[in-house]
Amino acid sequence: MMLRGIYAIVVLDMKRFWLDRARLVAGLAQPLLYLFVLGAGIGSSMGGSMGGGAYKPFIFPGVLGLSQLFTATFAAITIVFDRQIGFFKAVLVSPVPRPAIALGKIAAGALQAYLQGLVVLPFAWLAGVPFSFVSTVALLGAMALASVTFSALGVAVAARFTSTTVFPIVSNAVLLPMFFLSGALYPLKSPTTPHWMQVAAHLDPVAYAVDLMRGALLGPNYLFFSPWLSLPVLAGMITLLTWLAVRVFNRGEDDSSLGATNFNWRR
Amino acid sequence: MFAPAVAVAGLVKRYGEVEALRGIDLTVQPGERFALLGPNGAGKTTLFSILATLRTPTAGTARVLGRDVVTERDAVRRAMGIVFQEPAIEQRLSGRDNLLLMGLLYGLPSAAARKRADEILGSLGLAEAAGRPAKNLSGGQRRKLELARALVTDPQILFLDEATLGLDVDARRGFWTHVRTLAAAGRTVFFTTHYMEEAEVADRIALIDAGRIVALDTPRALKARLGGGVIRLQTDDDALARTWLAERGWAAEAGGTELMLVHADPAAVLPELLRHLPVKVRRAEVHEPSLDDVFLKLTGRGFASEGAAAPAGGGRGGPNGRGRP
Ligand SMILES: Nc1ncnc2c1ncn2[C@@H]1O[C@H](COP(=O)(O)OP(=O)(O)O)[C@@H](O)[C@H]1O
Ligand SMILES: [Mg+2]
Repeated sequence: MMLRGIYAIVVLDMKRFWLDRARLVAGLAQPLLYLFVLGAGIGSSMGGSMGGGAYKPFIFPGVLGLSQLFTATFAAITIVFDRQIGFFKAVLVSPVPRPAIALGKIAAGALQAYLQGLVVLPFAWLAGVPFSFVSTVALLGAMALASVTFSALGVAVAARFTSTTVFPIVSNAVLLPMFFLSGALYPLKSPTTPHWMQVAAHLDPVAYAVDLMRGALLGPNYLFFSPWLSLPVLAGMITLLTWLAVRVFNRGEDDSSLGATNFNWRR
Repeated sequence: MFAPAVAVAGLVKRYGEVEALRGIDLTVQPGERFALLGPNGAGKTTLFSILATLRTPTAGTARVLGRDVVTERDAVRRAMGIVFQEPAIEQRLSGRDNLLLMGLLYGLPSAAARKRADEILGSLGLAEAAGRPAKNLSGGQRRKLELARALVTDPQILFLDEATLGLDVDARRGFWTHVRTLAAAGRTVFFTTHYMEEAEVADRIALIDAGRIVALDTPRALKARLGGGVIRLQTDDDALARTWLAERGWAAEAGGTELMLVHADPAAVLPELLRHLPVKVRRAEVHEPSLDDVFLKLTGRGFASEGAAAPAGGGRGGPNGRGRP
């Protein structure tokens, strides 16, 4: 029942996602803006190894991560909407175990984030990213890990909210700092990067995911974390966030609200 | 041999300060059509939410087809179907997709779920509308789709919480035709409604008010409890009329803008009454007791001068009694 339940939730969310497939194209705007406007502007003012044409390939994995992060978060917001529409009551009276709902939501969000990443990926060529077969395969793997991490993060947070107006505000207040601290747009490794930002990056799941994608695409020289650190850290974060999400969905004396009762952003 | 379809004992539900259910005892037999009638806020939806395993009781127990709604939740979920008071279909998806998803949620493989969806859509006359997003269906079609959703697993018991609310007469009739077919096939149908004529088809009716069951009987016996026919009067001064009537041993209930009286032979006494009443009567009506009248007698607000006819609590008194002068 668990696997079937997860599958049913994924089918539900992917059917709804398909109705909104225009979002895949609209979702390109933000990453391309960062890549070609911010990238060109900052790149031209930068010197050294980051300067000129080298900046865009450098930030490409960051921009890829950005688009995945926002797609996954948007997918997670549907939990908050689901609480408000009656349809979810029908899900809740079915024998699907509550953890399957959380896991299905995470899987569906990850799938959507991955698809969005695939749509952004061809622009790597325009950004002047050097491609090889091996780097592409490695990147596809790293993207998968990033998608699952971001989706688990989104669901773990969204599961705590019942208000559709509050969640976007909070998620922006959390997501943007995570993105900016992740080293997506600047090298964490550089000796001029403030020490506290390097420390902060160690606590930021986005940093590990972006770093891994960058290493996969551009080579190990570009890594800030060793893959032997980022792989287990990401796996650990996925496990922790998933556990947090499942816990919320499981909670509640009353089962009618998917765990959340009233306005419980403090939980 | 067979477990009751629904067995509720001492059921209490509190939402913080609000006591929505204050000790409900109720047994619904398999195959029965059972109606729950009561004003808004009486606790009907709360009772259904508990039976449907969406909420847990504060005290007491509830069993559906012999399974405890708390400790055997999954078994209850598998066994019953429910149409909620509010819409519970994904409006953006088609009827077919909605039902397919329900099938998947109940663990059917994709092919079987698809087949089941088409079967139900066909049997409810929704086949043509099945491909359209649910939001583009008519009100009646949408409620039928809700019924279809509840039927995906072919449940032996159906809960309908004001399933026809807001539909026009034709759509309601269409909806009930299907429910009757389902009931005829031996399913238990436990429902609430605000339309008295829908309640008339029930085998038994429980009247619920402020979280308590105030009467439980067949529609016929409930009506017989009034012990006669009904006179309804619209007067210029209800208060005066009631005082005058009370002095002569008539207990008149104030039901909104009307007074209600019960008498063994209302047509015979009405002319006399009209002649002597010291207030102007704008409208007078005599009819057989309806559930509405019983309802007013038992749960209506503001029965100030109750006198001998004090109802409430009694539960299942004899079919007559509560006589008039
Ligand atoms: N989630 C809730 N929180 C607090 N009070 C509630 C909740 N749901 C229902 N109530 C209260 O419980 C009582 C019964 O409500 P309900 O079961 O919906 O009645 P009905 O369906 O008969 O109209 C009402 O007073 C209502 O305000
Ligand atoms: Mg209700």
